Amino acid sequence: MLRSPEHPSRSLYFVNGWVDGALIGGLSIIVFIALRLFARGEVTREAVLAASVLSVFFNYPHFSATLYRLYQSPDNVRQFPVTSIGLPILLIGAIAASLWQPDLVAPYLITLLLFWSPYHYSGQTIGITMLYARRSGFEVGRWQRLALSTFVFSTFIANFSYPRSGDPIMRYGVLIPVMHFPAWFAELTFAIMIVSGAALLGFAFTWSRARKKILPPIVLLPALTQLVWSLPGKQSAMFIEFVPLFHSLQYLYIAWAMQIGLRMGEPAADGPRRLVSHETLRWLLRNSIGGIAMFIALPWVLFWVNVPMVTVAGIVVAALNIQHFFVDGVIWKLRNTRATSPLMLNLADWAPQGVPVTV
Amino acid sequence: MRLGAWRAGFALFSISLCCNRALAQQLPRPIEAELTGREKFLAVAIGTMMLCGILSFVMRGRISERTHVAIALFVVLIGGFSLLVLFGGTLYDVPLAAALILLLLVGMFKLMSTFESGLKTERKSTKD
Repeated sequence: MLRSPEHPSRSLYFVNGWVDGALIGGLSIIVFIALRLFARGEVTREAVLAASVLSVFFNYPHFSATLYRLYQSPDNVRQFPVTSIGLPILLIGAIAASLWQPDLVAPYLITLLLFWSPYHYSGQTIGITMLYARRSGFEVGRWQRLALSTFVFSTFIANFSYPRSGDPIMRYGVLIPVMHFPAWFAELTFAIMIVSGAALLGFAFTWSRARKKILPPIVLLPALTQLVWSLPGKQSAMFIEFVPLFHSLQYLYIAWAMQIGLRMGEPAADGPRRLVSHETLRWLLRNSIGGIAMFIALPWVLFWVNVPMVTVAGIVVAALNIQHFFVDGVIWKLRNTRATSPLMLNLADWAPQGVPVTV
Repeated sequence: MRLGAWRAGFALFSISLCCNRALAQQLPRPIEAELTGREKFLAVAIGTMMLCGILSFVMRGRISERTHVAIALFVVLIGGFSLLVLFGGTLYDVPLAAALILLLLVGMFKLMSTFESGLKTERKSTKD
């Protein structure tokens, strides 16, 4: 069971219910419904272009934000030497092996990414659920955690095991054939998902009845979002193009809150309102530049390799993603002696009482 | 005395076996054909895993247990990826293998999610 925070927030949300709800998953659910109602679901050229352009502003900075948090202080590097030094060396080796054997190794590096990405999304779903559960006072003990994890990871497995169209998909110049799973495997996964989902709802109902108030929906929103991304979302190829964007939005929002919370814990000459604005702009600018350097400039550095540019980009993207999955696993565990828990604060907590704050 | 006799007997028996050409196994001949791309990749992967092991050995006493575990997880990752390159084709051909590989990958991702984050016992003692 989680202990109560030392500095409880004035609010359940980082900013407010609308902003938190939209960025944590509400927006993606609305987009999915809109696409189901008004679009045929096939990927159009415009949708791919829109997803690519939005990647520059959201997806790339979300990767950069992870690295920024790890490498912004030499203390962090000392705390996690294998992640910060050993891992990049290993991934450079993986890139070299993929470029050396583009027909043999590269397809599997990209396959690994296609499996690992949704697993990573599942991990983030659990993390965000735990965060809002803690903020709302919903006790997550062993059984609640088991129900949550089982539900979220079964949606991840169902995402693969449930029958899909027989057409192979093209990713980064590599044709990925369709996987076929035994029928019983998909049914079993689905049954586990239903049972664990029901158990999770049961815990929410018990909590609500005991406290005579409804559990804030934001606690269950990440799990619902994960379900939409994994199962109904698969019916719309166009929606699938935007899922990484929504994942990045979730991530950037929490990472931004963390960054601001940490900066607010430091002595500063600026007032809180100015500090929040300045730090937000500085953080966004750095991460945007970092993202462009990683995902646009880095593949171009390898232009001289005798491999199609799209495959080179795919190899680099896969390696950067894998680094992100590892780094993301450690950065939230960085020892922080300045701020007790920046992720337990609200925008209003960053300003003195009575001072309205706008970003 | 009795132990000495046993040892001497065992040594004589071993020598008799070693000298018997009929019982000898021939060393496999070096591969004459050029290595395939997959074999070359596996050779590099095995070499990298050995390097990780040597690094862990050389750094003993100078790095924390957590770092040793992280290096060991590198070996698991390299080995897992090599197996994927070796047998990954079955992922798309055999449904049961697809299910099995998916579950093994989930296990590997779960293991990697604990990368350099400290052992359970360490975390418990820190909490207390």
